[in-house]
Amino acid sequence: MGSESAPEGIDIRGLSHAYGRGDESVEALSNLNLEIPAGQFVSLVGASGCGKTTLLDILSGLLNVQTGAVRLAGRPPRAGRRDTARMFARDALMPWKSAFGNVDFALATRIGDAAERTPQVEQLLKSVGLGDFKHALPAELSQGMRQRVALARTFSLRSRFVMLDEPFGALDALTKINLQDQLVELWEQVSASTVVLVTHDLAEAAALSDRVIVMSPRPGRIVADVPIDLPRPRNVRALHATDGFQKLVAGLWETLDAAS
Amino acid sequence: MKERLTLAGGRLLLIAVWGVAWEAAAQSGALPRGLIGQPSEFLLDFIELVVDGTFPKAAVITLEAVFIAFVLGAVLALLTALLMTAFPTAERLAAPIIDALNALPRVALIPLFILWFGIGMEQKVASGVSIMYFVLLSYTMAGAKSTDPDHLRLARSLAIPRWRVFVEIIVPSALPAIFAGLRLGMIYTVLGVITAELIAGGKGLGTLVSYYSNTFNPNGVFATLIALVLITTALTAAMSRIERSIAKWHAPIAV
Repeated sequence: MGSESAPEGIDIRGLSHAYGRGDESVEALSNLNLEIPAGQFVSLVGASGCGKTTLLDILSGLLNVQTGAVRLAGRPPRAGRRDTARMFARDALMPWKSAFGNVDFALATRIGDAAERTPQVEQLLKSVGLGDFKHALPAELSQGMRQRVALARTFSLRSRFVMLDEPFGALDALTKINLQDQLVELWEQVSASTVVLVTHDLAEAAALSDRVIVMSPRPGRIVADVPIDLPRPRNVRALHATDGFQKLVAGLWETLDAAS
Repeated sequence: MKERLTLAGGRLLLIAVWGVAWEAAAQSGALPRGLIGQPSEFLLDFIELVVDGTFPKAAVITLEAVFIAFVLGAVLALLTALLMTAFPTAERLAAPIIDALNALPRVALIPLFILWFGIGMEQKVASGVSIMYFVLLSYTMAGAKSTDPDHLRLARSLAIPRWRVFVEIIVPSALPAIFAGLRLGMIYTVLGVITAELIAGGKGLGTLVSYYSNTFNPNGVFATLIALVLITTALTAAMSRIERSIAKWHAPIAV
């Protein structure tokens, strides 16, 4: 495997994926090549149908690789790999478990001892501003708070690879920016993982990422690979106020328009 | 709170208006009293039959069969659901057969149950079980299938073992539907047992209904119906209370 240029990161070679069979098959991804070095925060953006969630499902091992090769730290993706965490578009919290219970459920797959987990779960909930809500059921929390719990759950695993599928898609603008800051903080402080974020919000992609991959729809192809050279640590709310950031987002829009 | 009081008052008023109209129709002879009964009479009959022990004794006999049928039907249905969830092939195999059996009017089986079990407790239980089992089974299977696919994907991504997925995700997902099935099944079990008593006789409340009817005593029939309504209402209220204390995260599913 010496030829891989991202041995500890993510390496995607000639990846194609189709849904359905025969005449009715739809090509979701076509001959994708992508290298993500370890520790990089990458966003996948593109119109719906560009295969970004398909790519995320493949990286999480929830979909099998059909054509091509995918390696995470040199090994093929597999659902349940202990070094991979996945966050879903809707919070996917279990309504019968409290905020604490939902985070604990995930962390229990890494740490068997409940007494050892408890302070960690409490600390994580505190760090997403939900220290006082650990006993609350998801139905008693706002959508934004629920996504915070889901964030805490995802990052509790301290995984090398984190796959996020439009985690803030359903939130209002203000809550969204607050949660983006929360995510940056968790990522910078709790676990400096390799992150792949799927989003259709270009400002979100620019604010959070080291690099934005722009994809074109049907079949999904990479049309642009844009480095984001903003300094870290970042503050999303402050970034939004700067001219440079607005220009960056405008540039991404042009790239995306040209692609579709 | 105020709204609830107003609603309760409104309902009482509705029942009172209905009762007064009924009473008036019976007393004036606008409708034949000997057929429609008379509220003032059957309310007194009801109290009398409670006090003299007729209803309590009959209720105990009916409820014994209801309770056994309910528990037996529930256990069998949940075991079947467990098997069908664990082995999806078994479900695909059995589902159409179960649907067909469920479509069968179970009342038509009672003569067969009498033939098999005699006219005692067993045939009443069989009748109750034959309804309870299918009600709960179909609700439970629908509930198990209502599991959020994201929860299953999350479990896969966390490599949660299958038995834990079942216990911690599929069962809680199905619980609201299971409770809805238990509540509805409770009412239908009473129906099954009462019907069996109507047909086969014995000493339960269903037998009293047919006895009063056969002796041209509509007031006795209505007094027994009051007892039945109170019993089924109390049973479903108890079920709802248990449900609220267990499945706190979910508003009860209306049935």
